[in-house]
Amino acid sequence: MTLSASRLSLVGVSKTFPGIRALDNVSFDVRPGEVHGLLGENGAGKSTLLNILSAVLSATAGKIFIDGQPLSLSRPADARAAGIAMIHQELQHIPELTVSQNLFLGRPLTMAGGVLVDRRQQERRAREILADLDPHINPRAPIHTLKVAQQQIVEIARALLDDARIIAMDEPTSSLTPSEFESLAALIARLAATGVSIIYVSHKMNEVFQVCDRATILRDGRFIDTVALADVTEDQVIARMVGRDIAQERHVSHARPEIVLQVEDLSADRLIRNASFSLHRGEVLGIAGLVGSGRTELLRLIAGIDRARTGRVMLNGATVDLRNPRTAIRAGIGLVPEERKKDGIVRERSVASNIALPCMSRFTRFGLVRRRALHTEATMLMKKMGMRPPDVSRAIGTFSGGNQQKAIIGRWLAADVDILLFDEPTRGIDIGAKAEIYDLIADLAKAGKSIIVVSSELPEIIRLSDRVMVMREGHIAAILNSDAISEDAIAAHAIPRSRGPDFPAQPLEAQP
Amino acid sequence: MTQTPTLSRSTPRINLRDAGTFFGLILIFAVFAVLNPVFLTAPNLVNILQQSSINACIALGMTFIIISGGIDLSVGPTAAVSAIVGASLMLAGVPIPLAVIGAVATGMACGLFNGTLVAVAGLQPFIVTLGALSLYRALALIFTGGNPIFGIPPQFREAINGLVMGIPVPVIIVAIIAAVLWVVLNRTPLGEYILAVGGNPEAARIAGVPVARTKITVYVLSGGLAAVAALILTGRLGAADPTMGNLWELDAIAAAAIGGASLMGGKGSVIGTLMGAVILGGLRNGLTLMNVQAFYQLLATGIIIIAAMLIDRATRGRTR
Repeated sequence: MTLSASRLSLVGVSKTFPGIRALDNVSFDVRPGEVHGLLGENGAGKSTLLNILSAVLSATAGKIFIDGQPLSLSRPADARAAGIAMIHQELQHIPELTVSQNLFLGRPLTMAGGVLVDRRQQERRAREILADLDPHINPRAPIHTLKVAQQQIVEIARALLDDARIIAMDEPTSSLTPSEFESLAALIARLAATGVSIIYVSHKMNEVFQVCDRATILRDGRFIDTVALADVTEDQVIARMVGRDIAQERHVSHARPEIVLQVEDLSADRLIRNASFSLHRGEVLGIAGLVGSGRTELLRLIAGIDRARTGRVMLNGATVDLRNPRTAIRAGIGLVPEERKKDGIVRERSVASNIALPCMSRFTRFGLVRRRALHTEATMLMKKMGMRPPDVSRAIGTFSGGNQQKAIIGRWLAADVDILLFDEPTRGIDIGAKAEIYDLIADLAKAGKSIIVVSSELPEIIRLSDRVMVMREGHIAAILNSDAISEDAIAAHAIPRSRGPDFPAQPLEAQP
Repeated sequence: MTQTPTLSRSTPRINLRDAGTFFGLILIFAVFAVLNPVFLTAPNLVNILQQSSINACIALGMTFIIISGGIDLSVGPTAAVSAIVGASLMLAGVPIPLAVIGAVATGMACGLFNGTLVAVAGLQPFIVTLGALSLYRALALIFTGGNPIFGIPPQFREAINGLVMGIPVPVIIVAIIAAVLWVVLNRTPLGEYILAVGGNPEAARIAGVPVARTKITVYVLSGGLAAVAALILTGRLGAADPTMGNLWELDAIAAAAIGGASLMGGKGSVIGTLMGAVILGGLRNGLTLMNVQAFYQLLATGIIIIAAMLIDRATRGRTR
């Protein structure tokens, strides 16, 4: 290993959490002035790696070198001092403060012996740095008045102020327009030319191939390969990212003719407009669409979390009382939410308690909770779903995302709901558990549950769904039958048109 | 941000936090036992329990509210209003049991008011109960013209000041309440709901927990317990004072916090709170026995609270 030639060297870096091996013996190098892609599916370990580099997490094993010097990272300040800067997906600044105030946050330029902030000096420095990056940014403008792309440039400027030698960007283009991406790509090239090393994390292959020199591929927390992108094709990279068993399994439909759920004319202010569709017993209905197209909002209406303005939901022919989640659950509708930590779990409570919440009465006799019965049933459910370890009296927060997700699904099985709504069911879950969740959803459908899955991952939608409903700007743009489902068809309906007639009357209903 | 993985590995079957509080209790009592031979005698220990009973009663209600993610600053004035209603009923010739029920109902009504504003109107508990603190105190003062109500029937006073098998009645009352509340918190759906609502209100709601009802229930409970404390004090003093209960809320919060309740919600223990109240009571008793000035008692109380929190943080082994 030629440490001297590399800007950043990771040697055998590992990180374990209870129940999950997030990073397993990862080693690679980043050269000076190199733009280095970091690739892998959700849960491959990219975020963990970035968090270790920025000292948010500490590695369980392994060494990190910068310019040949071993690095000991125990606090985020250490990473900054070592010249590592992180540009997060969610930009981190204080919206009301000006560009220059944000730039010098935590390390102000001072005057009068360090007592007063020297605003003028700060603004001058800010202008100097920004002149190279984007001269249109006014250092005195409050940062929330800037476009996202410009805010990102301010973050880059902040990194440069810190004399960063390594700038790691986590999904930097997730909210940029194509032309903004082009200017970012140009900026990255210029930065690299000055000798700064860039670590570029993205899902988008075209971007990675355009921006990066080499890329390191992670899968299930393991190092797979570092490739020179000039020598490989996109397909080769994807194959290594995804690896073995994601061989497309044939989708088998368990849908039966009987209609279970009928959504009629559901609307909520601006977010959902006149949604009508039906769901069959044993069917998996996928909902695709862009972020903000109303998919999550629609699920929340059906689950009774938010209030609909008009419309109704019929379950087995009876109108469901959607006043609150409780009434929806009683009718037989349960939601597995996208943001598990915020909307799904009560971290400090045991898995068993988390499972029992919607159906406490089932585990209550004479006003007292039957702990033993609850424990037995929860253990049985979790074993069946392959929770590891199936210790249901442990706090749910100590389990991995996949296991937490299984517990939330277990909750709805214990409550014996008929309709399960999944919002991004595999978000933040490692690949192994992902396949298990897919199998679980298929098993549920087979057992006669009716399922709606919202997902931003098209392969996931296509693999799981009997039919796919595409949402666009708050309304249902199309419902695709199994033979009509393809990535192209979904994309064609999902993307808003600027002109022309709204989609012509589609045959919205279709028998599965 | 990424904090899930750094959580403690497992939820211990025996509550470690309670064990810690118990250790603190033993330590403080041992120190006083060494410093003053009277401290560890049976009569004095009974005395400590008696002196701690009112705060324990209030603190138990406070614990439930804190676990649910709220706070109740109005317990003192709630107690005063309840005492005055109870005393007035007794003086008007209402049978004592009915008067007691009237007092407790008054306390629960105060709690219902707070709980409704918190759970239904969605106001912040700190502010709601801060307002209620003034409101209820004003009601008590206006109703009485600021004067205590004397002439509490002797039967009531004797009942409260009596002993059962050598143990003061207030201690027994609070012990029974604590036992019931322990069962409620650890063995009933309501207990699960309170812990879930305090731990993560949004997740609890989505999981079908009746969040508003749960919150209202804990405030009503706290109001009722404030009334019980008020009745105990009324019986002991032989009068219902409209200024009763000044700063009770702070003692109660202190006892709950020493006992392991987290003001962030989702955590707390009945046994811990009881021990917290006894620690505070024992501290005051011991310092009084040693003729330490009241100023220093205040000092000691402050030190104990802050020390308890520091130990709490250190033993959880988690820095954020």
